[in-house]
Amino acid sequence: MTRRRAEGAGRLTRLALLTAIALTIFLIEAQLPALTTIPGIKLGLANIVTVYAVFTLGPRDALMILCARVFLGAVFSGQMTTLWYSAAGGLLSWCALCLLRKALDKRQLWLSSPVAGVCHNLGQLLAAAAMLGTWAVLAYLPYLVLAGLLAGLFTGVAAQTLIGRMEKLGR
Amino acid sequence: MSRNGKIILLVLLAAAGLSVAAVAARRGETDHPVARITWDGEVVEEIELDRVGRGYSFTLESQEGSNTISVEKGRIRVAQADCPDQVCVDQGWIADGTVPIVCLPHKLVIEIVGGGSAFDAAAG
Amino acid sequence: MARRMGARGGTLALCLALALSLLGGCARQEEKSQRQLFAMDTVMTLTLYGEGDTRGAEEILDGSVQQIQWLEDFWSAVRPEGDVARVNAAGGAETEVAAPTASLLRQSLELCAVTGGALDITAYPAVKAWGFIDQEYRVPSQAELAELAGRIDYRQVSVDEGTRDGETVYTVTLPAGMELDLGAVAKGRTADLLAESLAADGVSSALLDLGQSTIRAVGEKPDGSPWRIAVQDPAGTGYLGVLELADLAVGTSGGYQRYFEQDGVTYWHILDPDTAAPARSGLAAVTVVSPSALTCDALSTALFVLGLEEGVQLWRDHPELEFQALFITDEGELYLTQGLEDAFSLTEGYEDREVTVLS
Repeated sequence: MTRRRAEGAGRLTRLALLTAIALTIFLIEAQLPALTTIPGIKLGLANIVTVYAVFTLGPRDALMILCARVFLGAVFSGQMTTLWYSAAGGLLSWCALCLLRKALDKRQLWLSSPVAGVCHNLGQLLAAAAMLGTWAVLAYLPYLVLAGLLAGLFTGVAAQTLIGRMEKLGR
Repeated sequence: MSRNGKIILLVLLAAAGLSVAAVAARRGETDHPVARITWDGEVVEEIELDRVGRGYSFTLESQEGSNTISVEKGRIRVAQADCPDQVCVDQGWIADGTVPIVCLPHKLVIEIVGGGSAFDAAAG
Repeated sequence: MARRMGARGGTLALCLALALSLLGGCARQEEKSQRQLFAMDTVMTLTLYGEGDTRGAEEILDGSVQQIQWLEDFWSAVRPEGDVARVNAAGGAETEVAAPTASLLRQSLELCAVTGGALDITAYPAVKAWGFIDQEYRVPSQAELAELAGRIDYRQVSVDEGTRDGETVYTVTLPAGMELDLGAVAKGRTADLLAESLAADGVSSALLDLGQSTIRAVGEKPDGSPWRIAVQDPAGTGYLGVLELADLAVGTSGGYQRYFEQDGVTYWHILDPDTAAPARSGLAAVTVVSPSALTCDALSTALFVLGLEEGVQLWRDHPELEFQALFITDEGELYLTQGLEDAFSLTEGYEDREVTVLS
């Protein structure tokens, strides 16, 4: 189910707002203790914005928000290694979401978010394997799959609830 | 829930289940103690200590000397040896990976792998 | 509607809790690499977690093994081409040695001095006389022991430095009849040098077990917890306690480590430099903990010779040595210096053992 993209200033504001939200979540998440001994691997909580955007604004806009957030996030957090991990994770989950668009709709954010979460972590692991030059990092796979599922479920349900409330208010 | 939704949910649950199993398997690695006996760095014998029924003994002979090894369920020791210092005999039973039994003059090492370790090392 | 909200809230809470606990308990399963080798008259187990900055774990371990073998070539008294053997065979003449040997000797002699000679690295003739080198055990006569004791005196060792062709050259001189035995210090120094190399390679978690009498922990375990080092019960085969520590070395000396029995009397390899006979100070074992493995190695021997009272006095008088100690008497009583109080705990079965904390 796609909506007609709002045009002009309204759309720009929307994109900027969502980017800001994603960036904020990302920067707060950066303060959490490291998930694994590989520096730079994150939970990916900010992905919820990508999930929301893919289902409400469409893949293109979602991708723009993602790229902006990944870039600004790396700049603001000061860790450029994060750039690659976020990019890999974000892109892989964006791809998964584009496919899911056909199967699910925005009433099931709570379901698509965990998928995005797992793909996000998978992307990060693959990036780590490439950066560190070893497949040994895949030992973390089970932990990261679980973490991705739970983090995705958490943000998904949170977002779903929030949207439900907002829609009732007539936004 | 739509049919697609159910499929996705199933896939997610399967992924979760597999991951939990993988993590559990990783943690459970400590329950299968195997006594590895090496002579001069080469493995000569591996004994699955949790599969041992009745205790038994056997003797390893090399050009350096002989060591008689006793095996019981979950533990192993050098019962007798013809080395001058008898350090290996004095050590008694080992039941985990904390320390190996070593007979230096005979270049014999008996260590338990896969059985976890009560400690990381032993001072003494 | 309300029910759905409740279920949603519940799911949210559950997920958050699970996610957080996963975060916290996410075992940092760094890969363990291990190497075992026979060296310096014992079995050594080198354990390393993770990789180095530029080199892989296996490569680093190869380097460590080579380092050990290289040092053993210098310091073993039974290697005829090694520094120690050549000094011992020089009959009073000046002998050139490698820099690591000179460094080890200097540091060891300082420790001999600090311990008032309780540690003495010139006891080799006596150690040989008792048969601890060739396993032909015997009890020397009183006269022989007196003569041997006369030849134990670390103060007669001189380590000198000179230059030749712009390079520093080290020489060692010992009076004829005296011989060096670095058994009480070599493994400690080796552990320290290995730890330095590992740190330079960027290894942050490793455990170097150089034959149980010398253990050096580099950093903490990969999951951030301290290493658990069991303490042997001198009277049996079990462990009477555990030391939990990180980035520290542990050295242990005990009569039970190497001994022989004759006519119902036990004679062990830790000799009192004053008498050239096994040190009988009432202690069964001493364990020393310090950032330097050399200090641990040397002081555990010295404290065993000194006994409880003088040993504790040494600890009080020399805080600059930065060590803590655990004394185990012949009766099985435990005495801990205050700094170890938090790190030490008794193991199962030994809970009723008396532990006195010294300050």
